Amino acid sequence: MSEASSLQTGSQMRLYGCPTCGRVSQLLHAVPDGTFLQCPRCATPLYHERPRSLQRTWAYLIAATVLYIPANLLPIMSTSNVFGETLHTILGGIEELRTGGDWLLAVIVFIASIAVPLLKIGALLVLVITAQRRSRWKQVERAQLYRMIEAVGHWSMLDVFVVVLLVGTIRFGPLGGVMPQPGLLAFGAVVVLTMLAAGSFDPRLIWPEEKDDTRHP
Amino acid sequence: MSEDTLGSAPPPPPVTPPTPVTRKWHGPSLVWLVPIVALAVGVALLIRAVLSTGPQVTIDFHSANGLRPGKTEVRYKEVVVGRVEAVTLSEKRDHVQATVRLDRSVSNIAVEDTRFWVVRPRIDTAGVSGIETLFSGAYIGVDAGESTKQRRHFTGLENPPFVLRGEPGRGFVLRTDDLGSLDVGSPILYKRNRVGRVVGYNLDPLIDELSVQIFIEAPYDKLVNPQTRFWNASGVEVSLNSSGLRVDTQTLASVISGGISFERPQGTQGLPPASDGTRFNLFPDRKAALAPPDGPPLRVRMVFDQSVRGLDIDAPVDFLGIDIGVIKAVRLDYDGKRKRFPVEVEAEIYPTRLGAVRNSLRQEGDDETRRDTTLLQRLVQSGLRAQARTGNLLTGQMYVALDFPGKVSKAELDTSTAIPAIPTVPGTLADVQPQIAEIVAKVNKVPFDEIGRNLNETLSQANKAISQLRPEAQASLAEVRRTLQSVQETLQRADRSLFDPSAPIQRNAEQTLVDLQRAAQSLRVLTDYLQRHPESLLRGKPDDAKIPASPASPERR
Ligand SMILES: [Zn+2]
Repeated sequence: MSEASSLQTGSQMRLYGCPTCGRVSQLLHAVPDGTFLQCPRCATPLYHERPRSLQRTWAYLIAATVLYIPANLLPIMSTSNVFGETLHTILGGIEELRTGGDWLLAVIVFIASIAVPLLKIGALLVLVITAQRRSRWKQVERAQLYRMIEAVGHWSMLDVFVVVLLVGTIRFGPLGGVMPQPGLLAFGAVVVLTMLAAGSFDPRLIWPEEKDDTRHP
Repeated sequence: MSEDTLGSAPPPPPVTPPTPVTRKWHGPSLVWLVPIVALAVGVALLIRAVLSTGPQVTIDFHSANGLRPGKTEVRYKEVVVGRVEAVTLSEKRDHVQATVRLDRSVSNIAVEDTRFWVVRPRIDTAGVSGIETLFSGAYIGVDAGESTKQRRHFTGLENPPFVLRGEPGRGFVLRTDDLGSLDVGSPILYKRNRVGRVVGYNLDPLIDELSVQIFIEAPYDKLVNPQTRFWNASGVEVSLNSSGLRVDTQTLASVISGGISFERPQGTQGLPPASDGTRFNLFPDRKAALAPPDGPPLRVRMVFDQSVRGLDIDAPVDFLGIDIGVIKAVRLDYDGKRKRFPVEVEAEIYPTRLGAVRNSLRQEGDDETRRDTTLLQRLVQSGLRAQARTGNLLTGQMYVALDFPGKVSKAELDTSTAIPAIPTVPGTLADVQPQIAEIVAKVNKVPFDEIGRNLNETLSQANKAISQLRPEAQASLAEVRRTLQSVQETLQRADRSLFDPSAPIQRNAEQTLVDLQRAAQSLRVLTDYLQRHPESLLRGKPDDAKIPASPASPERR
């Protein structure tokens, strides 16, 4: 949606729509710093730009990036049988599938486990950095990117699901079984943190107020 | 919702303003705790992972057989302490290099004198060893060193080390000519209890001898003293020789994987334990192991003018019934002058087995071998001859007997060659066939038919005489006695020829003779009976005819 210069935005008119009950209220008087507004009807916090959205996104994003390293370096599960215990990392599993000839499976696991989290982190970085700079660069595409990140979020949990299923189902007692390993914790945390990051990102930041945009005529 | 564009209509008049609320938190957002926690968790996880992985070492092996990257384990005292990460070929391609990641808990194991080797499953005709490796695959065994100097590159041993460090017990070396079914891990048995194991073996090409390294665990190592005898207790031993069939087994385990037994000879129990690394001989069986020790063997030759079929290598040499040596070689020779094929038999005899005879007949002075040769010379002068004899009629196994056959022409010990030759006399083998034929012929000659006929005749005569002429009955009975006497004489004749003491085979013939004797005895009983009850000859005719048919129980009639 392109801007309509003749129209005023809600924030310019100091109007607040309640996201919970839909009631619109207008701020008539200036409020002191350190106060925030809430809906007079249902007490839902009101704001034009989600407060600290960038901060939160940054925090979750950094946390996700930090944990992405152990998630890929550490084994996510161990399988044991009479031949002994074998540790599996995500990359090792993909390598095994590839050498085993299962190209398609290897690609799927790679996309779900390595590529998607990485792309999510990358895309969120692009979003927060551009939002931070109040950039007006490719706004529509960035909005699409944001929607995509939200949509894809749940699917990168695939590995966690698989491991949890394996742990639960494969139990041979003393003969063998599957045990989760620390890598799985990190991996699951990465997935959750990227989802939180995407969730805390306020897409309105893609559309900064014109008056703030110094580059705009 | 984010954009309130209501078209061209002017905004409605303001409604209730939002309620301002005072913010409770002014500092930076609490959300920053999330990356801090994430960082802490991530770092903790990584540190834990790094801490649990120990040092990486490389080990050179001759072959990568059984080594699988990521799978092959490193075990110390059967505990997994590491894993092979990669196996690469060396630059010169003459060996492989295994990169091993050791566990942190054993990081101090990689020191100067630590040893590594590969334990592989071995399956051969002798059985299976390292059975556990069949399931788990090969693994790398470790023997932790005691040095404090760290080391990262090792050369793997080709065989498991002799003795593991820190394991209580003692190692010994056994010399043998034949490994049998022994292998690394084969048990060492004492009274059929497992007290140790074979830890390795190697062939010394210089002296063509196998050395078997064994390890006896404490406290059983004290059972080994310098006099202890070891023998190969591998499998089931079936031996067919001149003394018959013999079956020996040890424990089932040793039947499967081979084994070594040991025993302390009588009277040596009190000796102090043998020191670590003492060398012993490994005997082929218990009998050989526990036989009194033999001195150096004396090589002798014997030339036979007859077939020695059945005389095998390792057949015994017998001196007046005592096993004093063993046949080492049987060769065919050609005597151009006499146009014959003499057989040259070479044997090793152990003069020490002669015991007191040796000491009393030997001359003082000279070296051992010369003295024993003189001893042999003297024995030959007194009539000692070698004779190939049949030890077992059934199998035809032969042995060589050193004996004093009595009437022999004078002969000397032939010392013209390096190996002295004992003069021989024709052996029993040449005689066996005609002798058997003779026995059969003689047994055939026993006039069984005639005996029966005579008996019948006698009886009918007696019958007739007694029935017709009562006074003549006595004379008839006398005739019966005479006939029976002739039977006895015939049998005695057979007796004499068969019981000739020089006849080498008596057993079977003996049995026949015993039977014949029994028959003769029965006849005697009949005669006695008839003497006592002459009237029995007069009783019912049908019964009379049966008397000779059941002579053994005449009373039961
Ligand atoms: Zn409301």
